[in-house]
Amino acid sequence: MSALDDLLRRPDLWRARERSGTTSQPPGRSTGYAVLDRCLPGGGWPAQGLIEILTDRCGIGELSLLMPALAALGSEEHGEGWIAWIAPPHQPYAPALAACGVDVSRLLVVRGQPADWAMEQALRSGVCSAVLGWAEFRDHRALRRLQLAAEQSRSFTVLFRRLRDGDAPSPAVLRLALDSGREGLVVRILKSRGGHASTVRLGRLDPADWAAAH
Amino acid sequence: MPAPVKRRATPGGVPSSTPAREPPRLRPALGGGRGSNDPAPAAAASRELWLAIHLPDYVLESLRWRARFAGAAAHAPGGTAVVDVEDRGRVVFACDAPAATAGIARGMALNSALALLPSLHVLPREANVERALLDAVATLATGFTPRVALEPPDAVLLEVRGSLRLFGGVRCLLAEVRERLRRLGCVPRLALTPTPLAALWFARVDEEVVLRRREGLASRLAPLPLACTRWPEKSVQSLATMGVRTVGDCLRLPRDGLARRFAPELLLTLDRALGRAADPRAAFVPHPRFTARRDLEPELSDTARLGLAVEPLLEELCAFLRLRGHGVDALELTLLHREAPATRVRLRLVAPATQIAHIAGLLREHLERRELPEPVRALRLRSGPPVPVVVVAGDLFARHAQRTAGVPQLVERLRARLGPDAVHGLRLVAEHRPERNWGHSYSVPGTDFRLENRCLAPNMSVPYFPCRPLWLLADPQPLPGGERPRYDGPLELEEGPERIESGWWDGCDVRRDYYVARDRVGARLWVFRERQGGGRWFLHGVFG
Repeated sequence: MSALDDLLRRPDLWRARERSGTTSQPPGRSTGYAVLDRCLPGGGWPAQGLIEILTDRCGIGELSLLMPALAALGSEEHGEGWIAWIAPPHQPYAPALAACGVDVSRLLVVRGQPADWAMEQALRSGVCSAVLGWAEFRDHRALRRLQLAAEQSRSFTVLFRRLRDGDAPSPAVLRLALDSGREGLVVRILKSRGGHASTVRLGRLDPADWAAAH
Repeated sequence: MPAPVKRRATPGGVPSSTPAREPPRLRPALGGGRGSNDPAPAAAASRELWLAIHLPDYVLESLRWRARFAGAAAHAPGGTAVVDVEDRGRVVFACDAPAATAGIARGMALNSALALLPSLHVLPREANVERALLDAVATLATGFTPRVALEPPDAVLLEVRGSLRLFGGVRCLLAEVRERLRRLGCVPRLALTPTPLAALWFARVDEEVVLRRREGLASRLAPLPLACTRWPEKSVQSLATMGVRTVGDCLRLPRDGLARRFAPELLLTLDRALGRAADPRAAFVPHPRFTARRDLEPELSDTARLGLAVEPLLEELCAFLRLRGHGVDALELTLLHREAPATRVRLRLVAPATQIAHIAGLLREHLERRELPEPVRALRLRSGPPVPVVVVAGDLFARHAQRTAGVPQLVERLRARLGPDAVHGLRLVAEHRPERNWGHSYSVPGTDFRLENRCLAPNMSVPYFPCRPLWLLADPQPLPGGERPRYDGPLELEEGPERIESGWWDGCDVRRDYYVARDRVGARLWVFRERQGGGRWFLHGVFG
C-alpha cells in the first residue's frame, strides 16, 4: 500500500476522477475562447507548467489561439512581465500583435540555437510573464527540466512542436494538437492534467476582432 | 554696537574669544608691523586635518604585494633584500627583519650582504611596482575622503576633517585605514595634524601623533630631527655643522638669515608645516579605467578553471567600481599564451554591471565556448570607462519590480551564447509599407528600452489595420500562378484587394494589392500581387 501511496504523492501523477473542483489545481488564465475554457481544468490555460502545442503547419491559427491570453498578460496584475519569443519560425509582425492588444514594447525575440537552453534561461530569469518557444526536444530529460523551470517560474510557457512528437510521452501539463479543417481550427486535447482528452472545434479565430470587442 | 564689528575684524574668522585668550600667536604680526622676520599669518580658519600614510617598508611591501597578486608564494623565510644599481654597483636598498638582524643594512654592497647571509633572497628593485603600490594605497584612500594627494615615493596624504564623523571619530578612522592597508599587505605609520607637511614629518620619524589644533604644532614639531624634512643633504649637513639638528633649532634661527643662506624653499616648508603658508596639493586622480594582470602558475588550459582564476581580478574590478559608485559596460579579458597570439574575450553589456556574480557568469559563458590554442600563462583584465549606474530605489510593495530589473541580465546571458544579434525587441513605426512599419530594437532593455519604443511610436499613432498577419516573412516569397496564385495547390482569395501604394519618394516604391488567401489545408496567408512589372504574386505573411 505504501508504495502506491508514494506513487500517488508524485506531482506528475494524478487520478482521472480528480476534476478541477477536487484537485488543488489553481484557476487557469482564460484562453479568451469560451468553448475551449470549458474543456480545460481550471477554466483556461494552466496557471503554471509547460503547455505543448503540436502542429505541423504554420498559419492555421496557432498564434491566434494564444493572442487573447498574451494580450491579457500585458494588462492586469502581470503588468511588468516580458514576452519572450524563442526561435520563432517567422518574424512576429509587430503591427498585428499591437492590433491584438499585445504590448509590443515588452517583446523579446531570440534567435539562434540551442533554443531549449534559451527557453530555460528566459524562464529562470523570472522576468518573462510568457515564454513561447519553437524548439526540438529529443531528450526527455531536457523536456522535464523545462517543465520544472516552467512550473517554478509561473510564466505562461508554450512550446510548439511537431505533430509526430505527440507519440512520445511528455511531462507537459497540457498538450494540444492543432488541425485545420474547412470550418477552421480544431483543437485536440491530448493530455490535460486534471482534465480529460477531448476535441474542440474553435472555428475561425480572429484575435484582432477579439481585442476590438474587449 | 561696536563690539560685533570688532569681532568681525579679527583675521580669518577665528572665534572672537581666541585672540583675547591667546594673543601671542597673532599679535606680533599684527602689532609690530609686517617685518621680514614675521611670517604673514595664513588663513587661520583653514580647518583641515591631514592624515599622512607613510610606508616605511614600501619597497619590500610592493614586491610582496605584486607576488601575492600573481598568486606566488609571499616571500622567502630566510631573509630578503632588494638591491638597486648605484654607481658603486649593486647595493642593498631595503631588507626585511631577518636580513637586518644578520647585519645587512641599506647601502651595503650586495657581495658584503651575501657574505653576511649566504641564504639571502635577492630581488631587484622595481620602481613601477612601487609606484603601483602607492597608487593602490591612494585609490584605497579615496574611499575615506575625496582629497587625496600623493607624496612619492612612500607616502599618501588625506584630508579627513569632513570624514571624521562618518567613520566614527579619529580613532575608528585610523583603525579602519590601518586595517584596509593591512589587507593590502602594508604596515603604515599614520599621523594626523592640521597641516600635511607636519603629518608627513611625524609619520616619517615613527611618531604616530594625533594633533587637532594648530596651536601646539610648533612645540610638538620642535624635537623632530631635520632628516624628517628630507631637505637637500647639503643643507641638512651645513645646518648640522651650525648645531642646528632639530626642527625646533631651525625655527629659532632668524628668518631672513635662513632665507639668505639656504634655499628659500626651506623657509617655505617650515611655514607650510606650521600652517603659516598655504600648502596646495595636487589632487590624486585615480585611474579612469581598471587594468589588472595576473600571472598563472601553473599554466591553465581548462576553461572551467580559468573562470575561477579570473575571479580575484573581478573582485578587484568590483572594488574599483564600488569605490566610484560606477559600473562597466565593456570589458576585455586577454588570455596570454606562451607562443600563440593572445586570446581576447570581449564583453559588451547592455546595462552597466556592478555585481561580480553577473560578470563572472557572463565571462564563464564566453570562456566555455572558446578553443584555446595553448595553455594560458597570464590573464589581463581591462575595463571600459566606468559608467554611472542609476540605482532605482525599490518599492516596498512593488511585486514586479524585479522583473524589469532582470531583463538586461537575461539579454546578456542570451547574447553571450547565441551571438550579439540574437536578441532584439520590436518597435512600431508609423508607415504604410508592411516591411517598414515595424523594426528591431537593439537598444538597452530595461526601462530605457520601453521608453524608446514609446517615443518612436506610441501605440496610438499607428493606424489600425484589420487584416494583418501575425507572422511576416523576412522577404516576400514569389508564388507561381497567373490570375490565381498557387502555393502547394491553388489558393482561394478570401478578402481583398487592399491596395498599398507608398514610398515613391525614398526609392522603395511599393505598389501592391494585398489579399487574404486560404490554402489547401486551411492556413490563411497574406499574399500580394505587384501592380508594376509582370503582376507577379508574392507570399508576404501567414496569419498564424
